[in-house]
Amino acid sequence: MSEREQLFRRLSAACGGRVPTAGEPLPGSDAGAPEGGLVARFADTFAAAGGVLLRGPVEEALSDLGELLRGEGVSALFCPEDDEAAREIAEALVPFGPFHLTTGAEVRGGSAAVTAGFRTAEAAISETGTIVETSAGGKTLLPGLIADVHVSIVPAGSVVARMEEALASFTPDPPRNISFLTGPSKTGDIEQTLTVGAHGPKKAIAFLLPP
Amino acid sequence: MELHANAFGRNARKALLDKSLQEALGRTTGRFLAHRDAAVAAFPEFEATRERASRIKGDVLDHLDTYLARFVEAAERRGAIVHVARDAPEAREIAARIARDEGVTLAVKSKSMASEEISFNEALQEAGVTVVESDLGEFIIQLAGEAPSHIIAPAVHKTRQEVSRLFERHLGEPRTDSIPELVGMARRHLRSKFLSAGMGVSGGNFLVADTGSVVLVTNEGNGRMGTILPRVHLAVVGIEKVIPRMADLPTFLRLLPRSASGQAISSYVSILTGTRSAGDPEGPERMHILLLDCGRSAILEGKYREILKCVRCAACLNVCPVYQSVGGHAYGWVYSGPIGAVLTPLLVGLPEAAALPDASTLCGACADVCPVKIPLPDFLLELRSDAREQGLKTPGEIAAMKGYAGVMKRAGLLEALERIAGVLGQFFTKGKGIAGLPYPLSGWTERRDFPAAAVQPFRKQWKIKRGVRR
Repeated sequence: MSEREQLFRRLSAACGGRVPTAGEPLPGSDAGAPEGGLVARFADTFAAAGGVLLRGPVEEALSDLGELLRGEGVSALFCPEDDEAAREIAEALVPFGPFHLTTGAEVRGGSAAVTAGFRTAEAAISETGTIVETSAGGKTLLPGLIADVHVSIVPAGSVVARMEEALASFTPDPPRNISFLTGPSKTGDIEQTLTVGAHGPKKAIAFLLPP
Repeated sequence: MELHANAFGRNARKALLDKSLQEALGRTTGRFLAHRDAAVAAFPEFEATRERASRIKGDVLDHLDTYLARFVEAAERRGAIVHVARDAPEAREIAARIARDEGVTLAVKSKSMASEEISFNEALQEAGVTVVESDLGEFIIQLAGEAPSHIIAPAVHKTRQEVSRLFERHLGEPRTDSIPELVGMARRHLRSKFLSAGMGVSGGNFLVADTGSVVLVTNEGNGRMGTILPRVHLAVVGIEKVIPRMADLPTFLRLLPRSASGQAISSYVSILTGTRSAGDPEGPERMHILLLDCGRSAILEGKYREILKCVRCAACLNVCPVYQSVGGHAYGWVYSGPIGAVLTPLLVGLPEAAALPDASTLCGACADVCPVKIPLPDFLLELRSDAREQGLKTPGEIAAMKGYAGVMKRAGLLEALERIAGVLGQFFTKGKGIAGLPYPLSGWTERRDFPAAAVQPFRKQWKIKRGVRR
């Protein structure tokens, strides 16, 4: 008998052949939608997680974004080739600073420049201030992974209330990677002092696209 | 990991005399607790969510065979290769074989307590694979050649100066007192490892049965890097980590970070299902999932099965007066605090860790904070009783406990003894406390004064207050 069969034999003996039933409903399942508008709530929770939300007229938001990126010492911008919204914004930013465009592959290969990665979020969760990115449809995850600054393009219509809604669209057959990104990469491992930029982006920016 | 659980007494004494450890413990546990309390207070649904999580985990334990089979089937359908290990030696053998067969020479690992159980790193190193810990705290203690001292803050006992000395010696970095600079050094060093490693090794906070997904919760982003960049992903996970449905995941994501560090959610949650699909630009070509029994199926059969509900948040560590005083290393194995005092004897055998259930005041704070409502104090008490039945208590301790029980059952006797103790206590009372008691009571007065007995016993005062006269 294989090790696996033996394990399941042991488990079945311990569980006594019970079969799961629907049972009574669980508490805390249907806590209503959060108060206030979804976008307003997302703005609050995203900021609480240490993110910076840019909204309003696109021209103005672009100028703010340029300033933020210059402040972080960013010089190279990259985005997925097939992500039009992200590319438009990255390209429009070039005049706002000494920025140049590069590719994810180049950054992965080892880039000396400080980088900003742009990518359109699949969803944003107002409950937690979370950006949802997945590998569905062959999308790249590099902008939110290896860039020093991550800029998420968030279409206003993609904001959902709770985690359940964000996950529902990816079950029963989820892509290889579903990532919830909430604020910048953090660590408290040295003297419990919160420090950003452990491995992932040091700054998380959400660029809200009006409907 | 080597087992020294029965040396708890000696280890605890050492820890109490370690000044920098005492400072670190005070700073850490207090901060974690304050953050946790604030996060719970700001989340009115906490209690209902806790109840829900406890019931979901209860359902999992009742049907672990069914849910685990579902998980395995779904994961394999998506191209993952699932391995099962009965015990640590078998797990080590499987892990080494995976690394060899995949032709891996460098592996980056994110935090996994389960892998500590099986001494994973040593196994791979013996197979010629370099394993680099990528969680900053784990990386620090790996350089120092030490074991984690806290489930979620493994390097809590190290100061920034000690970290800087380690980075100077092992990474050739200049000395600094700046924590952001130290974090930057680790980031640069580990980034090159992530980009060149053939295999990323992770634990798993949850296994989703209906989709075959492994879920990782991290703050640093190392778990994410190690499961996106390398060619092979190996997840080492205990069989009890399964949850029935993806729809159950948010419940746990609402509880775990709040209980652990007081965050509404951790910076990163990765839900990883199978290998990369055709056309995916990144993601592992091969995914291995190593499921550990290592004593869990035996626990499932017995009266302590609810301990398998644990989500490893470490809230019980931070709130425990014993952990706050002695830290994690004193517990002599992977798990510390109240969860360690229960889980270690169950996983390694009570004779090997009989000292741990005694490492508790039974104050009950651990049960109050546990996000899945494990009755930890009941289990600690029950394990003490098991230890007595298994002949693991000394005749002196048994006699003392019998005597104590005999006295506590007889009010008159208790009162008489209280009077005698009051009289005897006067001989040792200096100022406000009792000092210099003879053996075997000397342990109570060696390093501090034992409070002197009141002139009138409490029950006498109570009677007088209520106007009862004899």
